[in-house]
Amino acid sequence: MNKNYIILMGILILLAAGLLVLPLKNNSKQLDPEVLMWDIVQPTRYVSTDEVAKMIIEHDPLLMMVDVRSAEDFQLFSLTNAINFPLDSLALDDARSALTFNKRNLVFYSNDDLKSDQAWVIAKRLGLKNIYVLKGGLNRWIQTIIQPEAPAETASEAEFNLYAFRQGASQYFTGGSISIDKSPQAEVVVSRKKKAKAAEGGC
Amino acid sequence: MHVHELNPKKTMVTMIIFVIVIIIGLVTLSKPRLNYAITPEETVMLAGSEEGFFYPYELEDILNKTIDTIVLVDIRNTFQFGRGHIPGAENISAVELISKENIKRLEALKDAGQVVLIYGNNLVEANGPYMLLRQIGFDNVKVLMGGYSYYNVWKDKLGDSYSDDSYFIGNAQYDYAEVAKGSSVSNNDNDTPEPKANVAVERKKKNKAVEGGC
Repeated sequence: MNKNYIILMGILILLAAGLLVLPLKNNSKQLDPEVLMWDIVQPTRYVSTDEVAKMIIEHDPLLMMVDVRSAEDFQLFSLTNAINFPLDSLALDDARSALTFNKRNLVFYSNDDLKSDQAWVIAKRLGLKNIYVLKGGLNRWIQTIIQPEAPAETASEAEFNLYAFRQGASQYFTGGSISIDKSPQAEVVVSRKKKAKAAEGGC
Repeated sequence: MHVHELNPKKTMVTMIIFVIVIIIGLVTLSKPRLNYAITPEETVMLAGSEEGFFYPYELEDILNKTIDTIVLVDIRNTFQFGRGHIPGAENISAVELISKENIKRLEALKDAGQVVLIYGNNLVEANGPYMLLRQIGFDNVKVLMGGYSYYNVWKDKLGDSYSDDSYFIGNAQYDYAEVAKGSSVSNNDNDTPEPKANVAVERKKKNKAVEGGC
């Protein structure tokens, strides 16, 4: 055999052996922090309640709503065909890979957009693709889709069209019943510590 | 056997190219400039805690210069900054914050025990950059609740904002299940007040500026 082949083979075997000592960390697919920061400052991750309502009504096969609230909250109310994925479960490998292998567009939502945004940042770091955040969350969902507000009489045609869509969507999501029943105003419970004085104690 | 397999010159050339490619690969091996200091699991814990949240009324101490261990950073764009900002804040956009020089500066501030308080127009706007900075190891970074828009409304009475709750976000404003039953689809455009669900707000204790001591 040619001597050169032997040298070549030796190099290859040496390199292959080198793979064994490579740290495991290099295999993770985490997003580079710099890239993550760029993604964070883009507003493209937000989808509006109107867009989501339209996609749900049209049975968009690529849409997957992800509820990042707690399991109890999810039990009480969730959007159509949403899956529950509490923010805490992003720390679990199994749960995480379930999302990673999903090829659909994941739209995270919570009460507003704080928890869902936090979930988005973590999921993005973990390398998940096609993930979005429902802008305004469920609070805005109620305000715009379930209880749409009529535009002023001087509003543009586009606004009236939007209102008409929202009214239709509202009936779609509430089962078509039209009544003017009001939910009672609930009380707001705030627990708070007394404000401390700037200077206290001393001699 | 083909002729070229026995051609030592060709084999040599192939080998040299092979080795060069490997060397180039090793040299240019991409090494990210920034590295995560905490795991995704720890980041989940971070998201669940309010430890890094800064309350608007606490700004009073900075503005009065009672506290000088906090550096205010406005992460909005220059235009918005020019139209108004919290006194004493400097303007560094979120992306600029992780530039080489600013990372150095953040490190110096961290070593000096200074807190870096960042704010955007609202909490959510600054939350992403805050989480990122925390993830790359800057545990001295905090984020202002309510952001600039809240400050702008309350700037003359920041102390009073202690008893205000509107900067607390993340709570349900409705009893979703109740509302979504279809109880409130109004066809006659009446302006019914929006029903509010129970909102329990828990707030961390305010630090005393000066405490005890002789």
